[in-house]
Amino acid sequence: MSDPPAPFSSYRTEVRAEWLDYNGHMHDASYGTVLSEANEELFAAFGLSAEYRATTGAALYTVEYHIRYLAECALGQVLSAATIVVAADARRVRLYTEILDHHRRPAATGESLYLHVDSSLGRTVAMPPDRQERVQHMVAAHARLPRPAHLGLGVGAGRGGSGDR
Amino acid sequence: MTDERETTSYEGGGSHPLVADGPIPAPLRLHRATVPSAWVDYNGHMSESCYLLAFGDNADAFFRYIGIDEPYRAGGHSLYTVETHLHHRREAGEGELLTMTFRVLDHDQKRVHVFHEMFRGESDVLLATAEQMLVHVDSQAGRSAVIPKELAERLTAIHRAHAELAVPDVVGRPMRINRL
Repeated sequence: MSDPPAPFSSYRTEVRAEWLDYNGHMHDASYGTVLSEANEELFAAFGLSAEYRATTGAALYTVEYHIRYLAECALGQVLSAATIVVAADARRVRLYTEILDHHRRPAATGESLYLHVDSSLGRTVAMPPDRQERVQHMVAAHARLPRPAHLGLGVGAGRGGSGDR
Repeated sequence: MTDERETTSYEGGGSHPLVADGPIPAPLRLHRATVPSAWVDYNGHMSESCYLLAFGDNADAFFRYIGIDEPYRAGGHSLYTVETHLHHRREAGEGELLTMTFRVLDHDQKRVHVFHEMFRGESDVLLATAEQMLVHVDSQAGRSAVIPKELAERLTAIHRAHAELAVPDVVGRPMRINRL
């Protein structure tokens, strides 16, 4: 296997009209859409995306998502994403994804935890060995990447008392 | 572009702010919604970002409860979300009724720390929670701004009424892979 991209950063998009809110900026929920789309590309690289779900009935389910909103995004703005696979075991994957603006400055960060669930059994199951191998290959490649200071902190941590953005 | 953007069920509805000395439910129950077909994915489950839409509507209901509506925003101030931490517990399907609670965990001069719960219908089956940090901003300057006195008094009254509630165990808890 060749070295996986570190961080994983294939995702590109432009802010769509339906993503905007009352004041013409990207809606809170649309940051969630962008993070989901970006992470879905990573799952596709693992072989854990739509085709896998359709053929096996298993999928990665989101159990936690911690989003930090850092900058407003406007219609047509080009966004990309950079994802670190922070940790993973046979049934779980933890990701850290930055949404980047056209200057590569983070507009939002998302920390997420996924469980591999067999939908027919309704419980977590181990990923197939070849998928685990791909995931662990990326965990190893991403181990050398610096971890942001706010990773693994709760809401309101790492912010000054002023609340300045 | 205004036709196709994201809207909340409360937009344009103005506000009916609470009377500070009146009774304040703990928690607040301001919003309920039925999952529309547009919110479900290929397997009939509610999509991840639609939980954020539902919690966003719940927050908007709260904003109107404290007096943040279109005229307030036109005056140049608003509450912006700076952080959201979602916990997904169970899935929601198309046509399902979602009932929401909302509580104020804390607030200071510029920030409001809040917590939402989403339940299945009228049951006590918890589907998801959201912990959020909101910041009062001057929208023109793009900077945080002190919450005006009238609003701060309402927040204090709500915070006081909600102090009797047990703090949910997920509040402030960081994400760890060694814990489910």
